[in-house]
Amino acid sequence: MKSKVNGISGRWPKALGNLGLSPIMLIVFVVVAGLPLFTDNPFTLRLFITAFMTATLAMGFDFTNGYIGICNFGYAAFWGVGAYTSAILVKDFHVPLPLGLLGAVALTAVMGALIGCLTIRLGGIFASCMCWFVSLALLALARNLVDLTGGASGYSATFMFKPKMGYLPYYYLIFAVMLGIFLLLSHFTHSTMGLAFRAIALDDKAAGSSGINHIKYKIINFSISCAIAGLVGAFYIHFVGIMTPTSMSNEKTTEIMAICFIGGRGTIWGSVISSLVLTPILEQAKDLLEWRQILYGLLMILIMIFYPRGMAGLVEKVRSLVLGKARKEAGASEAQS
Amino acid sequence: MVNILITALLRGGMYSLMAVGLSLVYGVMNVANFAHGEQYMLGTYFGYFCFMGLGLNPFLCFILALGGGFFIGALTEVVIFSPLRKRSGRNWLMNTFLLTLGLSMILKSGTKLLFGNSYRGITSYFKGTVSLAGFSASKDRVIAFVIAVVVIAVVMVFLNKSKFGRAIRAVSMDATGAQLVGIKLKRIYIVTFGLSCGFAALAGAALLSLTPAYPSNGTQVLYASWVVLILVGLGNVGGSIVGGILVGLLETICIQYLGAAWQDVFALSVVILILLVKPNGLFGKGVKSSVE
Repeated sequence: MKSKVNGISGRWPKALGNLGLSPIMLIVFVVVAGLPLFTDNPFTLRLFITAFMTATLAMGFDFTNGYIGICNFGYAAFWGVGAYTSAILVKDFHVPLPLGLLGAVALTAVMGALIGCLTIRLGGIFASCMCWFVSLALLALARNLVDLTGGASGYSATFMFKPKMGYLPYYYLIFAVMLGIFLLLSHFTHSTMGLAFRAIALDDKAAGSSGINHIKYKIINFSISCAIAGLVGAFYIHFVGIMTPTSMSNEKTTEIMAICFIGGRGTIWGSVISSLVLTPILEQAKDLLEWRQILYGLLMILIMIFYPRGMAGLVEKVRSLVLGKARKEAGASEAQS
Repeated sequence: MVNILITALLRGGMYSLMAVGLSLVYGVMNVANFAHGEQYMLGTYFGYFCFMGLGLNPFLCFILALGGGFFIGALTEVVIFSPLRKRSGRNWLMNTFLLTLGLSMILKSGTKLLFGNSYRGITSYFKGTVSLAGFSASKDRVIAFVIAVVVIAVVMVFLNKSKFGRAIRAVSMDATGAQLVGIKLKRIYIVTFGLSCGFAALAGAALLSLTPAYPSNGTQVLYASWVVLILVGLGNVGGSIVGGILVGLLETICIQYLGAAWQDVFALSVVILILLVKPNGLFGKGVKSSVE
């Protein structure tokens, strides 16, 4: 068992393991990538596009929450800012769409860095509340700057691809984004930077005294995580066509958080799996309406009480059981011979 | 100027009441309660159904709301926090935060499911206005303020003079130590959380004529009370009273000079600035686990 992050067997190539590509994740990605070959039902595709967006957001959230231990309770606001930025750039400033996306990413990255600066001296619930207050202020701004954002009725944007092309281009674009972000974040978290993040999460003073510049790392972490939110937001508005201040409120953040925690915090891959499983199930049943929120809430409470480490914890437990058994059997057979 | 001050007082009184409950829960149980707004929301429903449905006397409605809130709070502690307490160790505070978020989702959607998305409001409990030195306010507002003052005063006396109140304070200082001298933690936790929810529900019922009952009316209140709490420092019950008035003042000033739409932006910006200078809040000194 050379490294824990590797898949079921210890022989799995380390390079792949460092990119987070355990056998399970590889299979999941291949299956998901091949899905449009088997179905061209637009409804299914749309469900999975939503799932990919949520998965990416949950990964970005997990990057801050699971690694430096600050729960960014205003995450959806950055998603909204990304959406508004890209749409406004494209529509009002006639910037080409890719540049609009880039602008959204750049702005949210800068804002993330600012939030990182704001929370340097804060920890735990204080930092969460700070993020929350900033997000509330952003939300109120989106509502009040009517000339720029269209106020409470929202801002409509142009679509990314022509309607007759269907959902396929969206599907593969957001799939590529999700995969890219997954590889990137896995790479970061397996590098020394990830180690530094974890050290900061445990104790930032101790981390500082062992030579980790915790301010730098906090700011880097926040700007990466917020830039991801901005990117997904920009994709969202050119996919759905509209963004309203209400949709960037806390309910969105809570949903992302639920997905992340159900998947298992501090794992990156847990968020992907839980989103791919839960989002289609819960989004599909439109008649669930309020029950959907209730289910999210209930799942969150149950997970917090009984399985704080989420699905990832469950998988690890099963794996250690299986491996432990295998090891025992190997030991027994060796002893016999 | 006097007008602004009086409006701020009337506004801030209820914020104080909400924040005192929140602060108590944080100080004693170390719980970051993000379902506080939903308990306020439930209070507005209690008030509405008691007043319009049963046609009870307003004061009886308030007492019923307080009782109902207390019951729901006690139930929450027994059903949710006590199993969590048995299992959760290091990340307790953040876990309670997420747990209460889940709870707030359930309560919000549950009420939506039960009562629909419609507004249930009343024009007033008590008709007429009160005039004082050229300033007039509706009777409801004044009575709500008086209720807040009375309840806060009673709580302060209760915490400082009664045996049970002292036990609560002892637990907030050191839970293990309190246990050593024979205080039953379980009972303390139930009463504390019950009281906090009761206060929130009472505030909701008392302000029904201002904020009609509908499923998501707690959000604004929740963040106002958290602003108060963060502003004065977590777990500082006395400070919460001042903080409530301060936030009321901030909002009133903003409404007066910038317009109601900017009240959120303004109040939040001021709080963010204060936090930058004083990360533990205005009166926060030895705050329990400000880093955890």
